[in-house]
Amino acid sequence: MGEEKKSVLRVHSYAELAHRREESGGLYQPDAAEEQPIIRLDLVENILNLCRANSLWPMTFGLACCAIEMMCLGMARFDMSRYGAEVFRPSPRQCDLMIVAGTVNRKMAPALITLYEQMAAPKWVIAMGNCAISGGPFAVRENYNVVEGVDRLIPVDVHVPGCPPRPEGLLEGILKLQEKMTGTRYPFPQFKPPR
Amino acid sequence: MTLGTKNQDRHSFYLNMGPQHPSTHGVLRVLLEMEGEYILEPEPVIGYGHRMQEKIGESLTWNAFMPNTARIDYLSALMYNHGYVGLIERMTGIEAPRRAEYIRVITSELNRIASHLLWLGAFLLDLGAFTPIMYTFDDREQILDILEDVTGSRLTYCYYRVGGVSRDVDGTFVEGTRAFIRRLRSRFPMYDDLVTNNIIFIKRVKDIAQFTPDMAMRYGATGPILRSTGIGYDIRRNEPYSVYPEFDFDIPVGTTGDCMDVYLVRVREMEQSLRIIEQALDSLPEGPCMTKVPRRLKLPQGDASFSVEAARGELSYYLVSDGSDVPYRLKIRPPSFSNLSLLPELCRNMLLSDLVMALGALDLVIPEIDR
Amino acid sequence: MTTPNKLINDLRNLPATVHEVDYRQWGYHLDVLLEAGRVRGFAGMLRAHRFYLVFVSAVHTAPAIEIIYQFACYSRQCRILGRAAVTDNGTMPTISDIYDGANWHERETRDMFGVLFTGHPYLEPLLLPEEEADRKPLLKNGSAVKAADRIRRPNQAGIGTAEPHQGQERDQ
Repeated sequence: MGEEKKSVLRVHSYAELAHRREESGGLYQPDAAEEQPIIRLDLVENILNLCRANSLWPMTFGLACCAIEMMCLGMARFDMSRYGAEVFRPSPRQCDLMIVAGTVNRKMAPALITLYEQMAAPKWVIAMGNCAISGGPFAVRENYNVVEGVDRLIPVDVHVPGCPPRPEGLLEGILKLQEKMTGTRYPFPQFKPPR
Repeated sequence: MTLGTKNQDRHSFYLNMGPQHPSTHGVLRVLLEMEGEYILEPEPVIGYGHRMQEKIGESLTWNAFMPNTARIDYLSALMYNHGYVGLIERMTGIEAPRRAEYIRVITSELNRIASHLLWLGAFLLDLGAFTPIMYTFDDREQILDILEDVTGSRLTYCYYRVGGVSRDVDGTFVEGTRAFIRRLRSRFPMYDDLVTNNIIFIKRVKDIAQFTPDMAMRYGATGPILRSTGIGYDIRRNEPYSVYPEFDFDIPVGTTGDCMDVYLVRVREMEQSLRIIEQALDSLPEGPCMTKVPRRLKLPQGDASFSVEAARGELSYYLVSDGSDVPYRLKIRPPSFSNLSLLPELCRNMLLSDLVMALGALDLVIPEIDR
Repeated sequence: MTTPNKLINDLRNLPATVHEVDYRQWGYHLDVLLEAGRVRGFAGMLRAHRFYLVFVSAVHTAPAIEIIYQFACYSRQCRILGRAAVTDNGTMPTISDIYDGANWHERETRDMFGVLFTGHPYLEPLLLPEEEADRKPLLKNGSAVKAADRIRRPNQAGIGTAEPHQGQERDQ
């Protein structure tokens, strides 16, 4: 194989990092300092967060089975655009929500970290499905390839269990994320349903 | 194949497509050597969805592996169920009751339609047509409703058992399925108006990515890709399993093997599947849906093979047993693996935008290829 | 189209040991036992008979890893299973120039079992990441490896021990 092609093949500069994080076994904790804004204006932050929560741009990041349920959520019956999160973008630069929908394996892990690092802050991650949470049915004794939980690689905000979760489950995950961002369950302009 | 030898006298460059790309349908990566807009050499890089299915198949008892079969190809999960229970039944000599076989055929064909509907939407989405996927998903949800009622899950079914099916169907299922057949039949003219006769669509897919029978034989391609070249090879007909010989259905074939033919073959296959379901519902026999199977069933020593026609082509399970209830070796032969391996030959000297068409026509499910 | 008898005769003349198998129980028609050196002749012959390649894979048995080839035909119902033990140094001649589809199957077998296919144009890792190419996950370790006659059908049990190549077990 030509040397030039080899260097193209090796686009994932995060391979070592990914394996180190995976083998450490614990949850990946980002540096607290890099998360904090330099100047903090509470009121402005709150208003911005309200806007962010109601216009999440998820990335089309389908890895396996869960991707199909994620697609279903975008389609007519479940229609996640009701909650302002229907603009799926393939480019990480334009997204602020990564829905890890499926199994991450050791070959994919460096690419996952690359994509996460490429997203502009503030950014959030939903681990959708048992595979992304803990390896699911692939966390077996003979496991040689599957990363047991995506939170070993990147920080995760919301976990949505299921194999795969129903679209309603993912919808609930998105509402939970909105709650985490704004502090209230029904951010403006959604109101509590009538009793 | 002349991989990795960069053409010195042409001005070429490398382009990396994937593993996260909307039109690769998952985590496929294609490394392209390009000259301008033209592809000199595409090389698929796979393994981003490798989930050790064969290794797990060798470490669990055959019974415990059942749920995993649905996760190999989640779009045609019931066909993967069918192949696996068929294999075990063939080895141990257990026969499922006729009612169970009929239920298997009905649900498998429903699953095939669901898979083809998703393909139809996604293929057109790759083209840039966003509207059709909304319609196809609408139809697909109807199937998922029917299947959810009997199997208990929306996507990764584990419904078939060795010796039958886990749950009997009732009148609601039969009525619901009949209503769905009527509904989908009335939708086909709409799809024709919307897509098949659309001039933009025809210009994008006509004469693009032509498969040939010789190429199919060299690569072992099966499924709609193969049938689009004019070879009517379908495991349901050529190597019949279950109760498929009892039904009257056609094998749609194409003539030229281009993307348009692949599209037409798949759409007509949905119509044929509806015919099979209708006949099966009409003659659904009464009786039990499960036979008695010993709890700890040992597989006889030896090796056996079982093939079914999955939505994307021939699915073969090959099991080597040492006489215990854990398979000694389980080889899963997914159809897309061989179908994708002909991509370099198919897409040489093609426009980049046409590569997306070719990938779409192959109907890839990456975890199925990587297993 | 050739008659099965002619096909069986052709296979026996390779030479190879051919058994007819009960399709109803085992799912294939012919079981062909080959020497590693005959594999290319076998593939070329089936190509001439217009068979297509279903898969190439391997089974880790003692004394040597066995490579499994399955072929089927578009025009009639015939499924052929070829098996050949790898040579003493763990290699196997490639058939990827006869059947292009074998290219990926052989790369996968190299990933999973570490079998080297001589003459293969591009034997790079396929499914495993590049840095873990030598993992060979489907090799069984220690006592889990069964002798070849322990995994044969009972009426065929003698064949495993009468193999032409008594290659030693590959180190892991």
